[in-house]
Amino acid sequence: MARVHNWQIGREMSYWYPESRPEKQFAAVFDTNKCIACQTCTLACKTTWTSGKGQEYMLWNNVETKPYGSYPLAWDLKLLDMIGGSQWNGGVYEGQTIFESAPAGERVMGWKPEAQDYAYPNVGEDDCAGQVDGGAEFSLPHMAWFFYLARICNHCTYPACLASCPRGSIYKRPEDGIVLVDQGRCRGYQECVKGCPYKKVFFNPMTGTSEKCIACYPKMELGLQPQCFVNCIGKIRMAGYLSTPDKARADNPLDYLVHVRKIALPLYPQFGLEPNVYYIPPIHVPTPFLRQIFGPGVDAAVAAYRNAPNDDDLAGLLSLFGSTESVMTRWVRQGQEVAGVDDRGTTLVRVPLTEPVVERAAFDRVYQIMRHNCP
Amino acid sequence: MRTIWTVLLVVALGAGAACRRPPAPTPDVVAVATATLPGDPLDRAWQAAPEHVAALLLQDLVEPRLMTPSTAAVRVRALVSGDEIALRLEWADVEADDRPGPGQFPDGCAVQFPQKAAASAPDPQMGQLGQGVDITFWRADWQATVNGRGDTIQELYPNATVDHYPFDARSLERGSDAQRDMATRYAPAVGAGNVRGAWRTSAVEDLVAEGPGTLSPAATTVSRGGGVRTADGWAVVIVRPRPEGLSLQAPATVAFAVWQGGAGEAGARKMRTGWVPLSMREAP
Ligand code: SF4
Ligand code: SF4
Repeated sequence: MARVHNWQIGREMSYWYPESRPEKQFAAVFDTNKCIACQTCTLACKTTWTSGKGQEYMLWNNVETKPYGSYPLAWDLKLLDMIGGSQWNGGVYEGQTIFESAPAGERVMGWKPEAQDYAYPNVGEDDCAGQVDGGAEFSLPHMAWFFYLARICNHCTYPACLASCPRGSIYKRPEDGIVLVDQGRCRGYQECVKGCPYKKVFFNPMTGTSEKCIACYPKMELGLQPQCFVNCIGKIRMAGYLSTPDKARADNPLDYLVHVRKIALPLYPQFGLEPNVYYIPPIHVPTPFLRQIFGPGVDAAVAAYRNAPNDDDLAGLLSLFGSTESVMTRWVRQGQEVAGVDDRGTTLVRVPLTEPVVERAAFDRVYQIMRHNCP
Repeated sequence: MRTIWTVLLVVALGAGAACRRPPAPTPDVVAVATATLPGDPLDRAWQAAPEHVAALLLQDLVEPRLMTPSTAAVRVRALVSGDEIALRLEWADVEADDRPGPGQFPDGCAVQFPQKAAASAPDPQMGQLGQGVDITFWRADWQATVNGRGDTIQELYPNATVDHYPFDARSLERGSDAQRDMATRYAPAVGAGNVRGAWRTSAVEDLVAEGPGTLSPAATTVSRGGGVRTADGWAVVIVRPRPEGLSLQAPATVAFAVWQGGAGEAGARKMRTGWVPLSMREAP
């Protein structure tokens, strides 16, 4: 085991290999407040990559309802139980990561999902925490809540899938940090399936190898965002590249959201993988629950997000979500307009902070007709 | 008088039975020279070879390790003919695991030989750099395929329903290159040329290794083999090239491994032996 630095848990930790960061790191921000669980992302991925034999049950992208939803079943609860609570002291995680708590003979602490665990991808969908009865629906704020958590592979800085593979069949691309299973080398031992805490590697029983999200790398190489991003109906997603905190650039949209404004947070940072999909937490969910999932930064993140209407930079950048298929490596706000820019400095898209509102007169003068729904 | 004849008959039958009794177990694997090699584990020709009972050890040398012992021993017989050796491995495993799936692992076994006959054998755990090993691997799910299990998800999960596969699109002519290309697009292991990913025509695979984690398919699989269920486990025959250096005058070494799928064993998580001496002798 080597000692490596994990900025998400504010300390050094043990990892199977020495620290080796890619030239740039594929990363994403998902705004949970905007997800409507339409599953368009799930289908976009499914039709693009996993429509083959043996891939039937695989959802490289899935959307689950929290608190009760999970795919595979109880993926997060099982591991939270195994690592035994998550103690934070400010920004420093004081508990054990899955690498540090690996039992004798194992490279990481993990568990093996079985076929049955994948059988209920929609379990708990739209189920809220708590009862809504006795007229509770008329009181505000509602005491019952749920939210949608869209999930893909996190293309972790310290991937547990990669550390678990005894054959070195999993690699992290030095050019963009995308984590891939070498399909020519994999022998289907399922060590990665067991090791990945997010359960984002799947065993294909027909080919006998394990498969996972590839961050649509053929698209990313062309400067285009992955399928689940560009098909997102709620426009909740933005893909790009994230720097380490010390090299954060305010004009990089992901750096700005993650490092500068700190409104986008990693998923279960206490597992220790430095995952690279970041979530803007839902603003209506009790903080103890959010802290368990997204770590200690949730209070500040929720406060900043709530204040976005008074914050032109933040509101502007959030307006760029879902505005173009291209990867925006830079962004700039000019007055009441924001622009997404690529590496070459080309403006990819311009979006107003406030969409113009057009009020249509009830009476259409051209056709001399009333335009409303009343008879 | 009648009593005497009866006693003589019993003695004669007993002597005959003693002649047919298989050779006593041997402390090493003794390969007996024979005219032809049986491919069937149930062939009576195996009775000509003495049985060696190889105790199995945990693979607890490299992570991921196997921490709980499963299969205790593998019973081995060997026959040699010309350039080939046939090994028959039999072990107890009450439950047959021959279906791959998430969290589901098939039973299997393997034999391993040093690539080169040398004074010092390579590390028995998968060989070492510069001193490689040849391995032949048999797996129960490959056997099931060879025995006729179909290439559909319903063969593994009878209640599975599938709306549509892109390669079943009406616009693609059945059996055409275009249809095959479309199927390969959604079978990345096949696209990458992984012999494991392709449809199997043999229950065994030849492999080479130079240390843990280096296992790779041999250039081609020349070995043959097959396995059957016994009353309490598996019996498997592997026929492969005779190991370098093995002759009536010179012994060689061999190692064995067994995976019990039901115990979650796969890859490095296995029961194994160290090097076992392998000698050769003429048929009696
Ligand atoms: S989320 Fe899982 S599969 Fe993806 S890189 Fe991390 S450990 Fe590997
Ligand atoms: S497409 Fe977007 S809005 Fe719809 S479920 Fe997926 S992430 Fe949520």
